[in-house]
Amino acid sequence: MIPFVAVVSLRDEKSRTFRLWIPLFLIWLLLLPLAILLSPFVFIGCLFCRVNPFSGVAVMWQILNALTDTNIEVEHRSAGVSFHIL
Amino acid sequence: MNEHRRQILQMLSEGKINADEAERLIAAVEQPTSSFSSADSGSSATSKPRPKYLRVVVDSEDDGGHEGPTKVNVRVPMQLLRAGVRLAGLIPAPALHRANDAMHAKGVPIDLTQIKPENLEELVEQLNDLTVDVDQKDQYAKVKVRVFCE
Repeated sequence: MIPFVAVVSLRDEKSRTFRLWIPLFLIWLLLLPLAILLSPFVFIGCLFCRVNPFSGVAVMWQILNALTDTNIEVEHRSAGVSFHIL
Repeated sequence: MNEHRRQILQMLSEGKINADEAERLIAAVEQPTSSFSSADSGSSATSKPRPKYLRVVVDSEDDGGHEGPTKVNVRVPMQLLRAGVRLAGLIPAPALHRANDAMHAKGVPIDLTQIKPENLEELVEQLNDLTVDVDQKDQYAKVKVRVFCE
């Protein structure tokens, strides 16, 4: 399943936490028409680079799906950042 | 709660081990139980559960007291690794040869043309047993890096 939400948490020195929920599904919805419009150019570009365009699209789709559950946290005394893709 | 878990949590509360070590110990204690139960259900008892994530944990303790400790915790799904290898499989051969030459020039003897999707599952299976521990200690800081699969 493609990621729907990304959560970014920021913590400052006074332990105030700012959490930002990024609705990725809205971004996908906005990018979908653009991807359809650009698909002929991508197809030609893939052929120019001697890459199978269907394999390329399939791999990109797999990468998009695999991003779900990625988690990155950096904690320091003065600040902390965490990034979680759901 | 079983006795092993209680002992591990006791050690954690006494500060003998840290949270990451406790997590790994609990996973190790629970692993034989899960493989035993899978043996009961008819599958092979020797088969390990497939790793789902590649974890990189960095603990940096600042002995000088200027910067303070820093912790980095990265969890990457193994599916992303699989997709990455498939992506590498799409790169045209001339580009791979150029990348190989550049890496050889930098002293990295990796042949990217040998990374193929067919060998992917074997590679991922071997990662199951992978644990890299790096401890570095100097006069200013102590850094501990752990790379493992879970």
